[in-house]
Amino acid sequence: MIEFRGVWKSFGAEPVLSGVDLTVREGETLALLGPSGTGKSVLLKHAIRLLTPDRGDILVDGVSIPSATGGQIKAVRRRVGYVFQNAALFDSLTVFGNLALALDDEDGHRPLSSLRPEAAELLRRVNLDHAVLNLYPGELSGGMRKRVGIARAIASRPRYVLYDEPTTGLDPVNADIIDALIVELARDLGVTSIVVTHDLESAFQVGDRVALLTEGTIRACAAPEEILASEDPVVQRFMHRRFGTAESTPPA
Amino acid sequence: MASRSPAGEPRRVLRAPDVIGAARGELDRVGRGALLAAAIVATLPKPRKYMHASLAQAYHMGIRSLPLVLFMAAVGGALASQQTGAQFTGGLPVWVTGSVVAAGVLTELGPVLTALVLIGRVGASIAAELGTMKVTEQIDALYSIGRDPITFLVVPRVVGGMMVVPPLVIVANAMGMLAGLIVGMIAIDGLTATEFIFGARFYFRPWVLFFSVIKGAIFGITITFLACFMGLEGRGGAEGVGRTTTSAVVATTVAIMVLDVLLVPLLKVA
Ligand SMILES: Nc1ncnc2c1ncn2[C@@H]1O[C@H](COP(=O)(O)OP(=O)(O)OP(=O)(O)O)[C@@H](O)[C@H]1O
Ligand SMILES: [Mg+2]
Repeated sequence: MIEFRGVWKSFGAEPVLSGVDLTVREGETLALLGPSGTGKSVLLKHAIRLLTPDRGDILVDGVSIPSATGGQIKAVRRRVGYVFQNAALFDSLTVFGNLALALDDEDGHRPLSSLRPEAAELLRRVNLDHAVLNLYPGELSGGMRKRVGIARAIASRPRYVLYDEPTTGLDPVNADIIDALIVELARDLGVTSIVVTHDLESAFQVGDRVALLTEGTIRACAAPEEILASEDPVVQRFMHRRFGTAESTPPA
Repeated sequence: MASRSPAGEPRRVLRAPDVIGAARGELDRVGRGALLAAAIVATLPKPRKYMHASLAQAYHMGIRSLPLVLFMAAVGGALASQQTGAQFTGGLPVWVTGSVVAAGVLTELGPVLTALVLIGRVGASIAAELGTMKVTEQIDALYSIGRDPITFLVVPRVVGGMMVVPPLVIVANAMGMLAGLIVGMIAIDGLTATEFIFGARFYFRPWVLFFSVIKGAIFGITITFLACFMGLEGRGGAEGVGRTTTSAVVATTVAIMVLDVLLVPLLKVA
């Protein structure tokens, strides 16, 4: 379970997050929506202490992340896969190097050759050919980079995966493959995840619940149908502008 | 919102009320530097985690710097010899040139010129590389897969720098002396190789060579540490990386010069 409790964070005078309360239940996929620049990425980074809150607490499996020891946080990071918005692949390593680094742990030192089949299998999961293993990130298309980023995030067989816009910039076919992968990981491996997305369609497809982050707080968090039926004007405006098929929109 | 520029970065303009904030920011930075140093030291007892990478780094740094180190040392030694000939001799025996060149090369020119080359060839590229990794979230990505960027990136560079600079300094010293000898024989009337070497030996004590090498190691650590630190502090996209790299070069150069002065008393120890 991942819990955000009254998380505040500011970088300058204006707070980006002002008291975020959000609980991700065991086994669920939570889709996190919100306008650009509201702090979705910032919120996600708090879960593995890439950022620390000014106030509030974050709990992963009951471990308080801001006050965790170095060993605890390392263990949490092995259990939580993180898909970066811009993939954040290691430029100086091949795709295989990127995956190997995540497959092996710091003290393991498994022979590299033993990691190759696993790396190829990871790529297969994200619909990439194993020939990609030998390419450098600079040689990949944006969509391919994104998928390698996902492969790297799931390499350590995490129980939690945090996806920061996993399908933004992908063609519809690959976006569907990634959506299906998210659902599959959740169903088959019981992975709990947060999926940040701008794509309402994919949010409603993968999300057991949908949360809306606006102005630094969670404005709504409920099952997709409830969100669509919400009376809250802010929620309505967000859903209707971005999702023209909601009931109250007049037919075109 | 008014206090932020469009990029969301605080504007770096000092208005009167901001001075305290700026001072606090600098203090924070010093604190982060101290934390980084402490983290590096804490990793040192586990050589298995970084030794292999450190040797690779040392090798690369050595290869990249060697030609320029040789060139700079040759010019330094030649100038020392030529200037000595022009200024001192006349009243003094010519072999004194050997002593002056040995003193200049071993205590100052060898280590300092090597350090300056390293700043340009190695420090700048470390700052740019880590700065890029920082702004493209690759540093965060390392953390996210349970790797420690300090163990993985910083320690190998700092240890590599510490290992590679002493041998480079020895090579620079040898080159400087050789160039000093050759130029001295050409430029100074009556100076023979035997006399030059006599002069050099007259000055030479093992401690001086040791001092030279120690200085090199300290410079190696300083350059790589500052370059890593400033790279990791990097922000603000590609332009930011450019700024980071420039300020790393400036800061490291100043640090080396200040250290060079501070280390003078060490020579007097023996
Ligand atoms: N490291 C940082 N330093 C300073 N400001 C930051 C930092 N990270 C984020 N911000 C600011 O926090 C705000 C929220 O950023 P964030 O990246 O979380 O937005 P987002 O909701 O993920 O948007 P998008 O959908 O466009 O990715 C922005 O105003 C951004 O400028
Ligand atoms: Mg974002």
